[in-house]
Amino acid sequence: MSTRADAVRPGAVIGWRPRLARRTAALVTIGLVALAVALVAGVALGNVYVAPADTIALVTHRLLGWPVEVTWPASAETIIWELRLPRVLTAMITGVGLALAGAAFQGLLRNPLADPFVLGTASGAALGAALALVVPVQFALLGFGLVHVSAFAGAVLAVAVVYRLSRLGELNSLTSVLLTGYAVGSLLAAGLALTMYLSGSHLRQIFFYLLGSFSLSSWPQLAVGLPIIAVGSGVILTRARALNALLLGEETAAHLGLDVRRERLVLLGAATLITAAAVAMSGLIGFVGLVIPHLVRLLVGPNARLLLPLSALFGASFMAFADLFARMPGELPVGIITAIVGAPFFLYLLRRYRSGYAL
Amino acid sequence: MSGADLELRDVRLAYGRRDVLRGVDLHLAAGERVALLGENGAGKTSLLRCISGLARRHAGVVLLDGQPLEEYGRAHLARRIGVVPGQTSVAFPLPVEQLVALGRIPHEHPLRGPRQADREAVATAIERVGIGHLVGRDVRELSLGERQLAVLAMSIAQQAQLLLLDEPTVHLDLRHQVEVMELLGRLAVEDGVTVLAVLHDVALAAHYFDRVALLHDGRLVADGPPDEVLTTARVRQVYGVSAEFAELVRRRVGGGTGG
Amino acid sequence: MDASHTQAPRPQPVRGFSIALLAAALLVGCAVQPPAEPAPTPANLAAWPRTLTDDEGTTIELAEPPERVISLSPANTEIAFALGAGDRLVGGTDFDDYPSEAAALPDVATFTGVLLEQAVALEPDLVLAAGNNFTPPDDIERMRELGLTVLVVYAETVDEVLSDIALVGQALGADEQAADILSGMQARLAEVQAAVESVPERPRVFYQIGSVPEIYAPAPDSFIADMVALGGGEPITTTDPAVFSISVERLVELDPEVIVLGDAAYGVCPAEVRTRPGWESMTAVQADALRPVDDVIITRPGPRLAEGLAALALAIHPTLDLQPPTDGAVLCAEGSLAR
Repeated sequence: MSTRADAVRPGAVIGWRPRLARRTAALVTIGLVALAVALVAGVALGNVYVAPADTIALVTHRLLGWPVEVTWPASAETIIWELRLPRVLTAMITGVGLALAGAAFQGLLRNPLADPFVLGTASGAALGAALALVVPVQFALLGFGLVHVSAFAGAVLAVAVVYRLSRLGELNSLTSVLLTGYAVGSLLAAGLALTMYLSGSHLRQIFFYLLGSFSLSSWPQLAVGLPIIAVGSGVILTRARALNALLLGEETAAHLGLDVRRERLVLLGAATLITAAAVAMSGLIGFVGLVIPHLVRLLVGPNARLLLPLSALFGASFMAFADLFARMPGELPVGIITAIVGAPFFLYLLRRYRSGYAL
Repeated sequence: MSGADLELRDVRLAYGRRDVLRGVDLHLAAGERVALLGENGAGKTSLLRCISGLARRHAGVVLLDGQPLEEYGRAHLARRIGVVPGQTSVAFPLPVEQLVALGRIPHEHPLRGPRQADREAVATAIERVGIGHLVGRDVRELSLGERQLAVLAMSIAQQAQLLLLDEPTVHLDLRHQVEVMELLGRLAVEDGVTVLAVLHDVALAAHYFDRVALLHDGRLVADGPPDEVLTTARVRQVYGVSAEFAELVRRRVGGGTGG
Repeated sequence: MDASHTQAPRPQPVRGFSIALLAAALLVGCAVQPPAEPAPTPANLAAWPRTLTDDEGTTIELAEPPERVISLSPANTEIAFALGAGDRLVGGTDFDDYPSEAAALPDVATFTGVLLEQAVALEPDLVLAAGNNFTPPDDIERMRELGLTVLVVYAETVDEVLSDIALVGQALGADEQAADILSGMQARLAEVQAAVESVPERPRVFYQIGSVPEIYAPAPDSFIADMVALGGGEPITTTDPAVFSISVERLVELDPEVIVLGDAAYGVCPAEVRTRPGWESMTAVQADALRPVDDVIITRPGPRLAEGLAALALAIHPTLDLQPPTDGAVLCAEGSLAR
């Protein structure tokens, strides 16, 4: 390569770099602040009023083990430590996982409408959960019952079926993958409808599972769900280069040195694992996996090295806030809040996308 | 940096029962520029896929700098061979400079990301191709010609030693066709990059390339200077056009030499 | 009040006493009762602590009479008030409607489930939940994990409703009051039984649970089907215990002689039913045997159930020799027979 570097300073020709760097830094700051606020607000606020002094006292007592005199009521401690704290943390980790899974599916399938549930995960999990609810078998292990295990299995199986049917392992048309996912999802949804019809008194439970809720979050549940989602999220975060390579399609990605088949499998596996765990813990919560990556992409572009961490960051605080708004008035299913916020926002994004954008 | 030496020996490829390549022998020395011509379905794209490593189930040998392709790791191969696609589809808004930056992926560390050298290569590529004025714009908004230049810049940023181009001038207006061809010329001359370009425009190929390889029905029927390869008879045989038309092409071809 | 109920099971004599009392209440009916306690404080202290088994088979242990009680179903709320423990209720549901004081209770359960933070914050000694998924089982489990004492009641038959009232009475230490209620209900039930048996007809009765968007009928062997049978009718049911809707064709084929409008409280009155296409062929429509009822007293497994049965019996046999119910709303001004 001829040495024309003396005539070119990267920043000079490409004026975008400092601007993007500044914007990224600003977004990281905002994201971290939002996360902190979400954590504090999520613990301090809720259906029941707990005096801030009590909250602070008991949290520091629990966390740091300071020998403070117990001045707060036992019910406050239960509410803050057993109900709110695991709930906020579950919401955050779910937000991280779904946002990353959404970004991974969008990049993998090269489709802006992809979200974590695009390959039939939602219907598979819902059907698994519904079946578990109507089956008269009870078991509970570490805060997980038959419903959770069944939902997890349903989600994973649905994707496995789609994978096999569309032969995703080979370099095949992505449209056929999406259509297969849609078809399998529809089939499972039909099964779900039938189960709901025959479910009798369980109908309400199934229905609220479909809308998603963090109301049953607990420490034991988090102890199982968090590692799964964390591992899956970690894997996706290391796949930034692969997702970038896939921006122009799989052939170009192969030409850029990517082992496309392996990356497909890794991304698909990690995203599915995350989604299955999230759905098993809290039901179907839509829009987060769809909207957050788009929002971040709008602000910093499709470079996965920025897109993924920022999506994770904003996914966490978005979900925590959504849960807060869901539980303040009563106990609305959080999926309703994410839909109310996410749907109009998505429409707005579509309009922006049509006209493109300039960084 | 100089070009790669490419050699194909008796390369055969079949899709199912259909023979696409029936024993192709081709040699490009480092820094050579060759245009690959032939009718639709002759096997040009398949030949490129054998060289780029996408079509792995071919018989025969492909040697890059004397070593069989199979012995190169995927990433290593990507650092030596750059493939310029003729058509690109982008699902998301993609700024031009990020498209060019994709060319650095074979050189990037998976976790640490691009370094100063990578950023410089991108900037250099953008300036060489002359698309600095397009920086910041969404690739999907560009004209096809501008987009092709951006893709070419991506391959330049890749700093490959062998450039494979599959019909890079399709959909381009005359001005951009010329720009692309001249750019290829400069790359070969200044950087010594080996270039193999599949072209459909016979006259364009004849004008800009010193050497033309004619593929017909899975075999190389001719390989040499344009006026020697593109005889009336050959053009008739390969493209199946009438004698008068072939003569027309012949006259246009004969009117110029490689640039 | 500290809600620690994790004590070793108490010796048998206490259990025996409770069972004896229960037996007395159910079997003796209007017979002699133990002398009424003059003071309003619940129960004889020697009877505590108590070990009870709820309707799901879970063992509940109560060290002393609960002072703070939460009800998670309107039926349980009614039972608690009827047992004289209304002043001990600290939380209810957002659809408690009887007695009128119940609506003022803080809401702990809504349609979506239990507000766990509210439940915990109210520091209850006892939570009265409803089985068969009325209170979400996950919420019940979570409350128990958080250290609350939860008693789950669920009745599938009229007799089970009575034993549930006794159970709640035991749990609240209101055994005498429970016995009073039960004897009254038993008497009324016997009255209805006698009146019904004196009439030879057993008309085919379709109890309409709902009609939007489909027609909802009682499932075979369901609570409502049992009530209809006790009320002197032959219940028309769906085809399967898991199915709750019935097609119009099937209804026409089965040809009810009486249609009891269980959804009258939601605005479905005889006038509307008469105009439904295909219904005019039914005997009940032709004979104008369309009887609106207050479904609350008929279906709610609480202390007003006996009156509900009376109302249902009168809806099925309007000329029955029976005192009209003292509870329940009057619905659909025209043609109402549930006086």
